[in-house]
Amino acid sequence: MSLAISAIDYINGIKNNTITAEEFVSKTLEHIKKHEPRLHAFISINESAVDQARQIDKKIKSGQKVGAFYGMPISVKDNICVKGGKTTCASKMLENYISPYDATVVTRLKDQDAIIIGKTNLDEFAMGVATEFSAFGPSKNPWNIDYVPGGSSGGSAVSVAALESVLSLGSDTGGSVRNPGSFCSIVGFKPTYGLISRYGLVSYANSIEQIGPMGRRVEDVALLLNNISGKDQHDPTTIHNEEQDYLSGIDTGISGKKIGIIKEMSSGAGLDSTVESVFKNAVSAFEKLGANVQEISLDMIQYTVATYYVLTTAEAGSNLSRYDNLRYGYDLDSEGYEFRQYISKARHKFGAEVTRRMILGGFVPSAGFAGKYLLKALKVKSKLKKQIQLAFSKFDFLISPTVPVLPFKFGEKRDDPLAMYLADINTVTANLTGIPAVSVPYEVRHGLPVGIQIHANILQEKKLLQVAYALQGTTKLPEVPL
Amino acid sequence: MIGLEIHCQLTKLESKLFCTCKADYRSFEPNTNICPVCMGMPGTLPRLNKKAVEKATMIAMALNCKTPERLGFFRKNYFYPDLPKNFQITQLTMYGPTSIGEQGKVSIEGKEIRIRRIQIEEDPGRLIYEGASERTAITLVDYNRAGTPLVEIVTEPDFDSPRQVRIFLNVLSDLLQNLGVSDPTLEGAMRADANVSIEGGNRVEVKNIGSFHDLEKAIHFELTRQQSLKERGIEIAQETRHWDDKRKITISSRSKEEDEDYRYILEGDIPWIIMDEKSVSSWRQKMPESISSKKDRYITKYGIPPQVADVLSSDKYYSDLFEQAHNEKNAKEIANFITTDLMGLVDTREKREQAKITPKHLMDLAEKISSGQVTRSSAKNALSEIVKTGKSVSDIISSIGLAKISDESEIDKIIDEVISQENTAVQQAKENPQTINYLVGKVMQKTKGKADPTITLNLFKKKIGL
Amino acid sequence: MVTKEDIEHVARLMRIDIENADEYFDRIQKILSYFDILDKANISDEEIPVQQIAIDDLREDKHIAFDDKLIEQLKNYKGQYVRAPKMN
Repeated sequence: MSLAISAIDYINGIKNNTITAEEFVSKTLEHIKKHEPRLHAFISINESAVDQARQIDKKIKSGQKVGAFYGMPISVKDNICVKGGKTTCASKMLENYISPYDATVVTRLKDQDAIIIGKTNLDEFAMGVATEFSAFGPSKNPWNIDYVPGGSSGGSAVSVAALESVLSLGSDTGGSVRNPGSFCSIVGFKPTYGLISRYGLVSYANSIEQIGPMGRRVEDVALLLNNISGKDQHDPTTIHNEEQDYLSGIDTGISGKKIGIIKEMSSGAGLDSTVESVFKNAVSAFEKLGANVQEISLDMIQYTVATYYVLTTAEAGSNLSRYDNLRYGYDLDSEGYEFRQYISKARHKFGAEVTRRMILGGFVPSAGFAGKYLLKALKVKSKLKKQIQLAFSKFDFLISPTVPVLPFKFGEKRDDPLAMYLADINTVTANLTGIPAVSVPYEVRHGLPVGIQIHANILQEKKLLQVAYALQGTTKLPEVPL
Repeated sequence: MIGLEIHCQLTKLESKLFCTCKADYRSFEPNTNICPVCMGMPGTLPRLNKKAVEKATMIAMALNCKTPERLGFFRKNYFYPDLPKNFQITQLTMYGPTSIGEQGKVSIEGKEIRIRRIQIEEDPGRLIYEGASERTAITLVDYNRAGTPLVEIVTEPDFDSPRQVRIFLNVLSDLLQNLGVSDPTLEGAMRADANVSIEGGNRVEVKNIGSFHDLEKAIHFELTRQQSLKERGIEIAQETRHWDDKRKITISSRSKEEDEDYRYILEGDIPWIIMDEKSVSSWRQKMPESISSKKDRYITKYGIPPQVADVLSSDKYYSDLFEQAHNEKNAKEIANFITTDLMGLVDTREKREQAKITPKHLMDLAEKISSGQVTRSSAKNALSEIVKTGKSVSDIISSIGLAKISDESEIDKIIDEVISQENTAVQQAKENPQTINYLVGKVMQKTKGKADPTITLNLFKKKIGL
Repeated sequence: MVTKEDIEHVARLMRIDIENADEYFDRIQKILSYFDILDKANISDEEIPVQQIAIDDLREDKHIAFDDKLIEQLKNYKGQYVRAPKMN
């Protein structure tokens, strides 16, 4: 039995009795234990996974109705709450935190008989582009362990790429699902803002982030999206998705569709030449599929990184205020301290990157600076949305390389935060405007993966998955070297 | 010049502002009225209570405020043990008018008090100092109250005196009860801070005032303090002071807001609520009749005297009883019962909660009086039994024998008794006929109010030859 | 231009002990300078972007208690209370 199967194939295998959930999950756990010392995708593993799988096999055998996932092992980023187990956000501040409730997406997965195989590694509180800022050590890119897997959902991407799970749930605030998708050669999908409930996603920048499904194949991601999206009473920012079936008609094709190449993301000094070359191949592929491809310039893009970091640091500063170690956190006795003293000391446990962002988040909305930074950033967001809407009046999809650079080595970007932030330039637009975007793995060059990013307009996930599926069909990816 | 910042809990709501825990936390053991949302646990999101918006809109309308087209929420960021998220979700006037009410007004004894702003926000938890001493190092936190719905009302500094403040607060309290949104008599349900300044001086905020009684004292103290500073030529510092209840003075706070910057941002988890015309006007229709409208109606329709109408209309408990018990005929009688005899029996919340009186009781009593079966005095005695036992009026009249005595021979006997005991008074009455009421009163005493007063008076007069 | 004192002040505001501001000073200054790019964007007429919902989408006013004894799952609780150091 191979672990390198798609979610759809897994389900068919179960239905055809060629595999059982227990076998598959056992093998998965063995595989995880073998590769984890090297890859470190997980922060915690579900030790009851095999038992749970066994229960599902029983259910299947007895002819009871079984959920859509049939005992499939799915990993979940460790900033998404699973009841009764640790949710650390890869931070020392939440080292011992056990959530008293399940995130809505987790409830929906469990209701559909998925097995949560483990919680995956991330940049601390989802702030980072390489999973280098995890307080529990980085995750490694399975294509070459000297290189970063991308971030902040690096652990999720690695778990899927390295066959440690069939699917994964990550979170995308500025590219955190698409970036590691690209770096690890898997599909990373960010839905329309509000499509997937954030109840149970530990907030970093709540006005723009979304949980994102990740898988090896586009159709797998569609399956996952079908079962976790839709309005949730626990999250007032969720929107109706009219009960869409994202899987049906996914092979419709893109003949006659108009595709716009975002000039500012697909050219210029910041674009690596290898990435550019891969992108050109993808453009040809789109043309061969019958689409009409043209370039479009969106001049607001130049302000997006600054806008993104002003808005997200302000929100992060506020969202992380609750971590004062009084009600939950880690062990630090408060005896002998005064209140301010205690919480300042307790919060010293935040890593350097989180601390930096908190300080920035203290500046930008402060009385002296709010007009200069925060207000302007909000207005840029507004204008950017308009520009994107205008673009979608001319095009069905907008494309670019997912990341302007190839996966880089550990330590390469860590010391220059600005350079690191600029790596986000291709992905933050989708978050700021709320539109859905996906990274489709396209080629592996010099042993390093390159992904192609496609955007569609608000609530156009079905069409977006169709174009991603079409692109997927034009490429043959190598097997991950394990 | 005095202005107020009043926080009113919406105690009549079922649930908290952003979660389904109970709005009125007072009957709960510490930390048992909490959930992941009001505790701000990681990953939780606020869910705005629809009724809170409805009731807050009614308050805004009752105070003649403008309501916004869209309602928006913001975060006020600061660190404090009673604040689970270390920010409070509140409303601001930032990015346009988004608070529930603005630019309203209320008239107090002919003086117009302008309402600057009304906003919806959440209450923090409560701190309890271990060992009940200011010097101990630990504070104990009870989060039961965290997330309770509040409406903050900010006035312009239009008050001229502490007395005006007191009247305003009473009016506001009655208004809130009348709207059915809050019981301001519950402990902590209505709290006020004041800002006080005198001519030529800076504005001083006074916080931590426990009761309205203290508020008047605090304002008075502050005005005096500022006046004396002015007379000595000393500048009145713009600052925050807190009221020290023990020493009955205001003290400068080494404020927790020193160099505090609230870093206000939009509340990204709560989309802005469209206050559509249909909903808002349906709420306006639903609003209970205002106190002043009731008062006018009582006076003009039933001829109830203004002072009685005043008491009756401004207290929801009384006006509810009245509305259900009265008809054209007995309105005045019932209004009278309520505002004179009943009042003393139900003057506290506990007494009202335990009182067994119903509108039917009042209707029956009024009927018994008008049909001549019971005197007014007896009715007064019956009320206390009714409140205590809830028994029907007929039962009480028979069981404690309250039936009116109209039998002349019976009354005659009592009159003879009184004459034999009250010689001096009888002589006085012969000389000064007005004083006969004292003697009639004695008969009433002996018959526990049951003797028919008119018959008694006539018989007595006859007997002593008047 | 932002100073070291500004950074120390903000760190205090955010209640984080940063041992020395030097470590953060260069990078934060660099990033804040980068944010100045926003001054060039022609946006003075733009509105604040917000999501909107209808009154009907709001939550019904019902009391539903949270089942599990949440207080026992929190740390620092003594008896029935959460203990916190006192503010000066």
